[in-house]
Amino acid sequence: MSEPDSPRWLDEIGDELRQEVPVRAAWRTRLLEDVARARRPVAGDDFDDRNDELPMIPTASVETAVAASRRRERVIVLHPLAGIAAAVVFIALGVGATLTALSWHARTLADSSTVTGKTPRPGTTLASNAPADREVVRFELSAPTASRVTLVGSFNEWNPVATPLQRDSSTGKWIVSLRLPPGRHVYAFVVDGDVKADPTAPRAADDDFGSANSVVLVGGRAS
Amino acid sequence: MIARRLRASIVVVTLAFATSRAAAQAPPDRTLPAPLSAPTRATLLGLIDSARVAGLPVDPLYSKVREGVFRSADEGRVIAAVQRLRHDLADARSALGDSVGAEEITAGANALRAGIRPAELSRLSDARGRGTDRHPLTVALVVLADLATRGVPPTLAAASVNELVARNVSDGSLLSFRQNVERDLIGGRSAASALDARTRSMIEDAERRRP
Repeated sequence: MSEPDSPRWLDEIGDELRQEVPVRAAWRTRLLEDVARARRPVAGDDFDDRNDELPMIPTASVETAVAASRRRERVIVLHPLAGIAAAVVFIALGVGATLTALSWHARTLADSSTVTGKTPRPGTTLASNAPADREVVRFELSAPTASRVTLVGSFNEWNPVATPLQRDSSTGKWIVSLRLPPGRHVYAFVVDGDVKADPTAPRAADDDFGSANSVVLVGGRAS
Repeated sequence: MIARRLRASIVVVTLAFATSRAAAQAPPDRTLPAPLSAPTRATLLGLIDSARVAGLPVDPLYSKVREGVFRSADEGRVIAAVQRLRHDLADARSALGDSVGAEEITAGANALRAGIRPAELSRLSDARGRGTDRHPLTVALVVLADLATRGVPPTLAAASVNELVARNVSDGSLLSFRQNVERDLIGGRSAASALDARTRSMIEDAERRRP
């Protein structure tokens, strides 16, 4: 098989690859059955193993092994519609899990651009034609030297990792916009682990646990 | 068989969307945080149940528990805070009247906590008027609590806000009033002077706007 001008190392690799690899008798039987079904071996062919040095396997054992392997065969035919349905299921589960996580985080959706152009500061109220609708509220804190700022409050179950603020590098402000249901919400910022009230919003008086919180009102009559 | 699988897939998809929608619109979580001990949980649940039976809003109580856990307060302090809030909620509802909503009761409780007296809450409720179209006092109560928290004498704060509410000043104007008073206080003006000037200014502005 090697060409006359082939390098020596190539011949050595070829010889090595042509070495017989011992396999289990059952595997070998199945393989040979499949090969026999696919084509008849021809003398001199690479698939001709009539001079195989491996021990011969009794015919009865071969038939038993083949029968067993056939019993194990499973034919799965996937209809295109079923494939599409499965894909849709996985996508839906992913979307559902994401939405559930987001809603748990803050019962809010951090998206100021898709709901309404109104982005009031905390402490302000909004005119609302539909009182049950959530409103977008923009929270800002100027903390140029902070490395991490999050929001905690009654709207996110006081979860300190649920609502991180994004830093605006041009202004040094930390910002997040949330959709909140109508009502009075108590909140605070967590700046590098320290709890701070919003300096621009009304304060809540109930500082039972050390420091004051702030109040944001959603859905009131603005004018 | 494929049709059955397809139907099952559709059911799963529908359930997934329904679950996500339900979660997005879910009411506030009314469970107690896991770290609390069994005796504390029993005490807190007793307090919350008694508030529910009394017709008081319970979401602020759950929120108070969660805030305490978030701030790593010891359990005794959490129980004391919830007891106090439950008491304030009852007093606020009593002062404001049975017809007020949960948000007003909660804001009223916060005003009481800031040092406003129940009688002043009642006067505020009376100043709002007695029609069927009574505007909620939530914003007025929040402004009142804020002023008192910032050091304005509660009696003065209550008198000013009462006057503004009696003149049907809007919620937006009330919030502007709060901001202006805060600015004056930061600027060194006395609370009495700031309140007087800002109240008069707000009333004049409201009179000008009146058709």
